Amino acid sequence: MNRRRRTDLLIDLGLGIFGLLMLTPLIMLVANAFKTPEEMLSWPPTLIPRDPTLDNLTSVLNETPLLSWIGNSLAFALLSTLAIVATSGIAGYIVAKFPFRTINIVFALFLATAIVPFEVYMIPLYFQVKQLGLLNTVPGLLVGYLVMSFGIFLIRQNVLASIPDELIEAARIDGGGEMWIFWHIVLPLLRGPLAALAVLAFFQAWTAFAWPMIVATKRSAYTIEVGLALFQTGYTVDLGRLSAASACVLVPSVLAFVLLRRNFVQGVAATGMKE
Amino acid sequence: MANVQIRDLRKSFGPVETIHGVSIDVPDGAFVALVGPSGCGKSTILRLIAGLEEISGGTVSIGGKVINEVEPKHRDIAMVFQNYALYPHMTVAENMGFSMRLLGHSKAERRAAVEKAAEVLGLTEYLDRYPKQLSGGQRQRVAMGRAIVRQPQVFLFDEPLSNLDAQLRVQMRAELKALHARLKVTTLYVTHDQIEAMTMADQIVVMKDGHVIQAGPPLEIYDSPADTFVARFVGSPAMNLLSAELADGGVHIAGRRWCDAPTDRRAVQLGVRPEHLVLDPEGVPLDVDNVDPTGSETMVLGRIAGQQVTLLLRQRVAVSPGDQLTVSADPAHLHLFDPDSGRRLIPGDG
Repeated sequence: MNRRRRTDLLIDLGLGIFGLLMLTPLIMLVANAFKTPEEMLSWPPTLIPRDPTLDNLTSVLNETPLLSWIGNSLAFALLSTLAIVATSGIAGYIVAKFPFRTINIVFALFLATAIVPFEVYMIPLYFQVKQLGLLNTVPGLLVGYLVMSFGIFLIRQNVLASIPDELIEAARIDGGGEMWIFWHIVLPLLRGPLAALAVLAFFQAWTAFAWPMIVATKRSAYTIEVGLALFQTGYTVDLGRLSAASACVLVPSVLAFVLLRRNFVQGVAATGMKE
Repeated sequence: MANVQIRDLRKSFGPVETIHGVSIDVPDGAFVALVGPSGCGKSTILRLIAGLEEISGGTVSIGGKVINEVEPKHRDIAMVFQNYALYPHMTVAENMGFSMRLLGHSKAERRAAVEKAAEVLGLTEYLDRYPKQLSGGQRQRVAMGRAIVRQPQVFLFDEPLSNLDAQLRVQMRAELKALHARLKVTTLYVTHDQIEAMTMADQIVVMKDGHVIQAGPPLEIYDSPADTFVARFVGSPAMNLLSAELADGGVHIAGRRWCDAPTDRRAVQLGVRPEHLVLDPEGVPLDVDNVDPTGSETMVLGRIAGQQVTLLLRQRVAVSPGDQLTVSADPAHLHLFDPDSGRRLIPGDG
């Protein structure tokens, strides 16, 4: 008994230290945002600023369009999430419950798109967006972020595992049309996996870098990821302001994760195993 | 309410035909059980009637109207599924009122109909619960409630009791029977459990490999099975089938003349139900292999002239494996079958 408790304690301790180690860079980042340039380079590094300053923050907010970058990123990520949740929900359900041969081929094509890396078709896609006159716009950013093949796959698996055919057949006999059934039976039952997918889709768009970088050619059209990269040039890194900007960027992502944490863990871990 | 008429119904999946021209009549208000081993096509027939599968040939009519091309929701039927198919995210009341909601009934109407059905089924106190908070029997009742609320012309049941434990199944069987007696709605009931079919139905349709083998009232099927398949399938324990020799115008097994033989036959199969074999000092010897006493009756497994037989005795007998009994049967309780086709032979008419 005593021995078991000691092992438990050791495991807790180990996990605690590991957790702190994972957190340290984040804490350092936030701390750095409030340090003077001298303190930032001093050795040993300090965890809590000795002489806190708001200079970095004010300079970032005044000299760069940080807020509009965050706005661009938010619009891009939210719309992309919405589109991916909608397309994955509909496509995943259809692929799972209407298994005609042609639909199986379509599903195979969905999966095939996951094999081709985005970088391969990034440039052709760029030219298309350019021809459409969508450079430097949120719709331009969204091209390529409307459908996620993994999302379709995730929803398909969830539908297969958690929505029996009889449920849909019962609804058909009860008098439901196909759209009605999707909206009132299928969607409510897919809430968990769709929320997990929403978190994935949001972070995919929020952290996208290469595509926004080539689509946004004007400084004001940048997303936050691209904007942050501006603080590092080939020769110098403006550590103070980079830290301040990064700390600002952390806020929405941490918020989103905290709000959706339960759905995220449930949806990915259990993938629809309901009793 | 209405009658259901099935005429030469066929269903093919790709090039494979699984239902080969089935005709069934379900009179208005009757309770008809479709029974057969798994894979015999009974569930498929139910799904064809419900409109969940497309009919490949023949017709299905409800109340005199052919409904082959009618959408499921317009067929005025209600179906109860084996796994209940309750909507997990809706309460019992919402589940039961779902079809009325789709038909555009007001909230008050829905509430009234649901409460009435819940009262019949003893579900009143569970109306606000979710399916996962109910036991198997309660879920089954909710599924039936959903069907009742619709007030359909026809009820379709697809093995509704097979997910329940044995005791509950017997109880629900009685409830279903009482419900049918009360509502008098035309009912088609699919089951692989012949006892369920025997106890509940007015008419039984025995199916095998996509064909109807025999249809009729339960006891008629029990007393004069059309062939060896029905003979073995209906009744538990199953009917004994013994190959018999014909000599001097009689059917002989183990040196005893059991009954008169059909005139132009060289061989027959003799069928006798386990409860119709009786202990008789003048009878043929039976070597006992196994004895299963159940308290009210004793089941004896043994061999007559090397052929396996089961014997069901209504009394307790002091017998153990290795013993020998002597048995016989009343000729009126014997069945004769063609050994090749398995068809029933009326004794004497060949």
